[in-house]
Amino acid sequence: MSLTVLLVEDDRELRYTLKATLEVEGYRVHAAASLADAMALLKHAAQTASAHRFDLVLLDLGLPDGDGETLLGHIRATHGMPVLVISAREAEMPKIRLLDAGADDYLVKPFSSAELLARMRVALRHRGQLAQPAITHYVHAGLEVKIDTRQVSRHGQPVHLTPTEFKLLARLVREAGRVVTHRQLLADVWGSDCTEQTQYLRLYMAQLRAKLETHPADPILLLTEPGVGYRLVEAASPDM
Amino acid sequence: MFLQPQLDLANLALVLVMLAALTSLWLAPWLGLLSCAVAVMAFNFHFVPPTGTFQVNFHQHMLLLLAMWLVSAVVTLLVGRQKRLRLHAQQESSRARELRELSEQLRSTDDQDRWGDIFLKHLSGLVQPKALLMLDHDGHPHWRGEHSALEESGLHLCSQMSSPMGPGTGRHDEQPDCYLPLRGSRASHGAVLLPPMPPQWHAHLQSLCDMMGMAMERQHTQQQAQRLRQAEQTQALRSTLLTAIAHDHRTPLATILSAATALRDQGERMGADQQRQLASVIADEAQQLARLTENTLQLARLDTPGVVLQTDWESIEELVGTVARRSRVRHPFMRLRTLVDQGLPLIRCDALLMVQLLDNLMDNAVVHGSVPGEDAVVDIKAVMLDATSRRIRLSVEDRGPGVPDDLQDSLFEVFTRHVGAQGHAGQARRAGAGVGLAVCKAIARVHGWTLRHEAGSSSGASFVLELTAGDAP
Repeated sequence: MSLTVLLVEDDRELRYTLKATLEVEGYRVHAAASLADAMALLKHAAQTASAHRFDLVLLDLGLPDGDGETLLGHIRATHGMPVLVISAREAEMPKIRLLDAGADDYLVKPFSSAELLARMRVALRHRGQLAQPAITHYVHAGLEVKIDTRQVSRHGQPVHLTPTEFKLLARLVREAGRVVTHRQLLADVWGSDCTEQTQYLRLYMAQLRAKLETHPADPILLLTEPGVGYRLVEAASPDM
Repeated sequence: MFLQPQLDLANLALVLVMLAALTSLWLAPWLGLLSCAVAVMAFNFHFVPPTGTFQVNFHQHMLLLLAMWLVSAVVTLLVGRQKRLRLHAQQESSRARELRELSEQLRSTDDQDRWGDIFLKHLSGLVQPKALLMLDHDGHPHWRGEHSALEESGLHLCSQMSSPMGPGTGRHDEQPDCYLPLRGSRASHGAVLLPPMPPQWHAHLQSLCDMMGMAMERQHTQQQAQRLRQAEQTQALRSTLLTAIAHDHRTPLATILSAATALRDQGERMGADQQRQLASVIADEAQQLARLTENTLQLARLDTPGVVLQTDWESIEELVGTVARRSRVRHPFMRLRTLVDQGLPLIRCDALLMVQLLDNLMDNAVVHGSVPGEDAVVDIKAVMLDATSRRIRLSVEDRGPGVPDDLQDSLFEVFTRHVGAQGHAGQARRAGAGVGLAVCKAIARVHGWTLRHEAGSSSGASFVLELTAGDAP
């Protein structure tokens, strides 16, 4: 079954390139060059049969008739499909705000098509029509985590984690492949009145890396997204 | 009298005149004239026959007495005038000295605040100033002393009109206090509020104000000239920078265009491998351009005054890990080791800027720090230098040929060019863009840290960032 993507991008060349990339991978693509066009397409899809609904939205923030953020708000309020936002400036992009506002992931131009496709796959696994049930068993690169039985092992050897460390790891496992913001992690593990205390988070992530990574300063599992949060690498095997 | 036998009449007369002259040295002129008259009468009484009476032999002695009185009077008046002239000259000389002193003191410092103090001190020798308004070269007012809202607008008006106001000036005579403008050659640069004073002091005080006004004008002109010079320099620098950057963009763009057009026009005659190779070239060069653009933008951003950093507590281990991962993607043939001390404190910094700094150092190490024909070998190290002062040494070290001597000083300048060493077989020679290291230096600077280059411990180059972790969170 092929998935339908709504591509909202005002640059003609990029629109063409992305459409081509996605179609080769088997996605059906509807492209919009402005906020107004995108709203129209969404409205039309909502009114027609579910077969024509969108499974994912690729949203460029720098649109000619308004900031893509408003569309993000609208989509989150009315639809359940994943949204990936695209922006041209890394430093100025309010990544955290976007992720907290409901974006599933973000991409900074220029990005490679491999990166785009990978992020799309991850987003689709987590949310929307084809979301898989929440990840409870994670296996990748020697690390195995079973959330229900609270078991963690590395290369077959059990690893002891403190309750807080486990809670932190579990949250990252549940969102494996996606970035989780500092705020989300702090709220989840320490409570919503601790969302400014990044130093706790750093401390515990360092402890997790020390226990789970061969080279804590060169990690392959627990990755840092500078200025935003943390991401547990997506498990390679589809068995999750 | 006792003198009578010794002196005759004429000599006595002269003595009288002398006495009159002497007394007028000390007495006011009208008193001097009166004492002359009295002396003449006394002379008449005692010496002029018939003595003992005021009677005068009209023809003989009247003329004498009259002449005596006249001469005494003239002498008195002359001496009086001399006194006045002397007093006037003294005043003039003391005023000239005051002006000179004020001028010298104003010249001794460039600080306009000090000028306010100096000026007020000079004025207070004559009259206690109440308030002072000084306008800087942008027209912003600087105030001294207490003043009411009415006085404030009075001072502004006085300065604008460049003319004194207050009693005796012909403008706003009803005001209780005097306003004097600090006049320059074309306009006034402020005004001073003084208590009412004798009108004869106006001229001198105005001279003092004018001296102050001229000094301020001189300084404003100098400041403006300096600003123009600086603007010129910045402009020249910007032009050179733009040219250099445009040049650096042209090379990868040329490669991209060449490869893309080859694919487009000759693609069907190429094998799949060759096509893929060309596409890879395009992708690599585009990545290079992306990094160049990012660096240039960052340099421009960090160059503007008042740049705001997004700081937070960051882990050096995490920053190094992020950079290691990113570098491996960009340089798959590089051999990288990360050597980070355990238990390093968190540092207060802008994470994205720090990642960019380390990324640039990594790129630099790979491009310039490799021995031709071999893969680049790079270490990222982080060690604690001093636990009490929380100083940490973060370094990127390569085993390449090191930095050439002639580049040592200008390494962090934007326009340095250095053709890189040959990397892995198949990787083209890449001319180093000067922007990368300049951005590193700028990022270190905005954090208040230092970045320097050292010769590596085992050949090659080390770029060392010495940072302080800041107070514990």
